[in-house]
Amino acid sequence: MSRAKLKDLGIDLPIFPTSTVGSFPKPDYLVEARAKFAKAKIDRKELEELERQATAFWIKVQEEIGLDVLVDGEMYRGDMVAYFSELMPGFEQSGLVRSYGNRYYHKPIIVGEVQWPGPMTIGWWRYAQGLTKRPVKGMLTGPYTVMDWSFNEYYPDRRSACLALARAIRREVEVLLEAGAKIIQIDEPALSVRLEELPFAIEAMHLVTDGLPAYFIIHACYGAFDAIYSQMLKLPVHNLDLAISHSTLNLMAMFRRDPFTKDLSLGVLDVHSHQVETPETVRSRIEKALKLLPKESIWIDPDCGLKTRTVEEARGKLVNMLAAVKALRAESAVN
Amino acid sequence: MELLVANHGSYPRIGDSPGQQRLRRAYGQHERGEITSKEFDAIQTSVIQEIVQEQAEAGLDLVTDGQIRWYDPISHFTGQLDGIKINGLLRFFDTNFYIRQPVVVDQVVWKGPVLVEEFRSAQAVSPKPVKVVVTGPYTLGRFSILESTRYRDLPELVSAYTEALTKEVEALAAAGATLIQLDEPSILQHPGDAGLAKVALTRIASRKGRARLLLATYFGDAAPLYEALQAFPVDALGFDFTYSRELGDLIARLGSDKAIAFGLIDGRNTRMDRTEEILPILRRALPNVKGSPSYLTSSCGLEYLPRDKAQLKLKKMAAVRAEFAGRG
Repeated sequence: MSRAKLKDLGIDLPIFPTSTVGSFPKPDYLVEARAKFAKAKIDRKELEELERQATAFWIKVQEEIGLDVLVDGEMYRGDMVAYFSELMPGFEQSGLVRSYGNRYYHKPIIVGEVQWPGPMTIGWWRYAQGLTKRPVKGMLTGPYTVMDWSFNEYYPDRRSACLALARAIRREVEVLLEAGAKIIQIDEPALSVRLEELPFAIEAMHLVTDGLPAYFIIHACYGAFDAIYSQMLKLPVHNLDLAISHSTLNLMAMFRRDPFTKDLSLGVLDVHSHQVETPETVRSRIEKALKLLPKESIWIDPDCGLKTRTVEEARGKLVNMLAAVKALRAESAVN
Repeated sequence: MELLVANHGSYPRIGDSPGQQRLRRAYGQHERGEITSKEFDAIQTSVIQEIVQEQAEAGLDLVTDGQIRWYDPISHFTGQLDGIKINGLLRFFDTNFYIRQPVVVDQVVWKGPVLVEEFRSAQAVSPKPVKVVVTGPYTLGRFSILESTRYRDLPELVSAYTEALTKEVEALAAAGATLIQLDEPSILQHPGDAGLAKVALTRIASRKGRARLLLATYFGDAAPLYEALQAFPVDALGFDFTYSRELGDLIARLGSDKAIAFGLIDGRNTRMDRTEEILPILRRALPNVKGSPSYLTSSCGLEYLPRDKAQLKLKKMAAVRAEFAGRG
């Protein structure tokens, strides 16, 4: 339970704190502007102006919906790894690689020592936090995922590349904390792809978080969750954000074997579905978790970033998520 | 102990120059109905001709068609069978590449050859022999969703895919294919199912005619399965050396009755492989390999790399073999 940690940091959150995983859909005007920027038809200043406008829009939407911990919505990012690799010395972009069908992308190549280039996300965090009194999370892609989604021509092995990235990312965490951020989310969707590498992924997370005064959340897609669950408890973070609400795993048996020792961000919305979940659906997913964990340790959010949904779908899903949470809070207060 | 240089299978279908992007443009035009299927096919054929030439010029003895016509290694073959519907995307092992997942909705029926025309058309434009690559029945089964009640479990589904692939291999051998590679990466994730894969391959091998069968494993450490794989009824075994430090020593120590496809060039990383790290493994292991010819190849298909780097990897393979032969 990490409520005490949050209190220490001066953050008072209601029961079932609500948040989102990070990305929101880009409004049409921003999608068009990004295409124009890629063709050099507008300059960076014009693009940034629209990115700020879209960020402000999403801060307002999150406040209106009633979310407790906000995000900047990542209006300035294309890809969660490319954004950082384009800023950090040590990387080059490769030629095109196919991901599926007719989709291709430029995969980063580590060609030299990776270095922290100075603040990469502070400007956006400050801007977003300046628009609201609610806490805004600092959002970073984790070292294991940046390593796994890049080619490595410089470091002798994957572990050394991962640890070098961790040292650089820690610098970004430090400046986020200096700027006033208190909740930091590290995104590690690649975390479970090679089980044998989990020990050094955990080692890297120690390099990122050890000794720093913040509430740390790690977001990982669950993959082979049953195989790695007990090891994931060793991650030096306060909150595991896992897409396990739709899972058919026998969580009860797993939690009985190795009691869950952290807060859990429960992904209750399917971001890959156009369908807007009803409050009843959301409620049933939360109730399933309540059979396993004390209510004080549960956060509520979607199962991943909402960027692939339309603005209306994203808003509709979150409104219903909050409706379910508010009803449960009211009942919890009565009981 | 002959050592041939062979492309593994897939190859990047586009590069960074505008000319090398014609397939990407044509794909979009075909989807939008701006060009006919025949026009799209002609562009695919021209790209295959280009990459077959690229492989030959790099110094390879055996080329592939790069699987240019394939959407992915799972849905390409299964999508041509009766009883299968193709579903949404699924990540392919620990890569950033996604396949479309087959859903088994009824009895699986092979309707006729899927790869024979692809083999013939690639061979027609290639100055070198073309190796045919097809995903094996166990891996196809592992990536499928079983909805039909005709098959109770994975072994029954693998058996159905085996029947289809047996007919495919027979047709390929009859069409003149001399080397047919069956890709079974999934077996390394589920070593307990080696017996199931062996039964399947025994059936396929019974109809291979004069073709050589190469069983290719990758995306995992094959060392724990090495001795079991020696009992499989195939002519050659392919290994991904990037996952296993001890495989070279294991082959040197235990020997091999079968030829080996040495996947010593890293097909997943752009870093150029070092000749001085590869040669000692070949020198230790190859003298104890009885089957011949063996092959020097990449750890997996080269489509995980950008085109320029894949081309350099091909040249590296040829250079390593030249060095090996020179001092061998």
